[in-house]
Amino acid sequence: MKADHLPPFRRDSVDPAWESHSAWKAKLVRDRETASMNQTPEQRAITRTLMERALESGADGLALTGSTARDRRTAISDLDYHVVGSRPRHHDLPDEVDIYAGDSNSFWQKLHSGEDFVQWTLRFGCILFDRGIFRAGLKAIATERLWPDPGLKLRRLPQLRDLSIRLLDMEDRDAAQDQVRATLTSASRALLLQEGIFPLARSELPAQLRAAGQPDLAAALDQVIVDQTLSLQKLRRRLATVDPVLHMADTLS
Amino acid sequence: MSPKPKKDLAREHIQTALEDYERGSENDAVNALFYAAEAAVVALADYHGINTQQRHNLKADAATELFLRKLIDQDFGPLLRELNQARKDIWYEGDEPDFEDGLEDVIAQVEELVSAAEEQA
Repeated sequence: MKADHLPPFRRDSVDPAWESHSAWKAKLVRDRETASMNQTPEQRAITRTLMERALESGADGLALTGSTARDRRTAISDLDYHVVGSRPRHHDLPDEVDIYAGDSNSFWQKLHSGEDFVQWTLRFGCILFDRGIFRAGLKAIATERLWPDPGLKLRRLPQLRDLSIRLLDMEDRDAAQDQVRATLTSASRALLLQEGIFPLARSELPAQLRAAGQPDLAAALDQVIVDQTLSLQKLRRRLATVDPVLHMADTLS
Repeated sequence: MSPKPKKDLAREHIQTALEDYERGSENDAVNALFYAAEAAVVALADYHGINTQQRHNLKADAATELFLRKLIDQDFGPLLRELNQARKDIWYEGDEPDFEDGLEDVIAQVEELVSAAEEQA
């Protein structure tokens, strides 16, 4: 997948591959090719191992998600997966592997409760294998016109902001940078969802925010992603850019 | 470079975690435990010349290396990875903390790690 290629990310744009068996089969082939192209040989080996373990454990599906699926990795990117089933053993694997795992009940509950991660997998992830649940999930998004609830992220935002402030006050710069980045990312995702724009990978959020008329938050997020050595003072200033989004959270509560 | 020594930060984080836990804020406690464990490992890794480069996986790898080099009594690598995953599940997915042996056990392990950092680094 080319870095400048943007997939459909508006509310009504859903991949119609779920509609027929042949289209779904073609999507799976396409997704596996994309996943392969976007990974280094070492990452492909990790993915193969996880896929074997997920299949052995009887998982319903596995997808490569996040920046690798979008071919937008940065220096701080994890190798992200979504497994429907139990989390495969991965602590012996040589990379920052991040596996979101949940059973099929949790998959449907999260899809219908408005969490965005399951929808992200279905809209932009590379599906590596599927026993039917991912296809059914995509069908549900299209036919039930499902859209994540930005309120879920907005309600968590004050607590994330407070944790950032706690780390800044403690003067743990490394931890503060990590937490400020998480807070800005969460605020950005909430804001974009509110605007009817599905947030892509983290490194793509600044461009999406600019397009949505949020240049300050875009610039702040960009800086905390790219520069890993921001001072405490600069981190505090970047964190302040979530204040307008926090007002939206106040309105909700 | 943080202005405070990492071993001091590790102690501050674990004290915060204990306060969070006592007032029933388990999600906040998980976050503080994660940063306590990371700060302790970085303190030990820096002292013993092991590179962690501000990356979570390298810090977990460093914890395992410290154990393999017999510099600490336990391999805390899996603990760091578990805490990292737990805080992401909490803050990004809205999940509740779910540790196999309970949060008290995690607190005890992080306490041990922080003490090792204070003794050695």
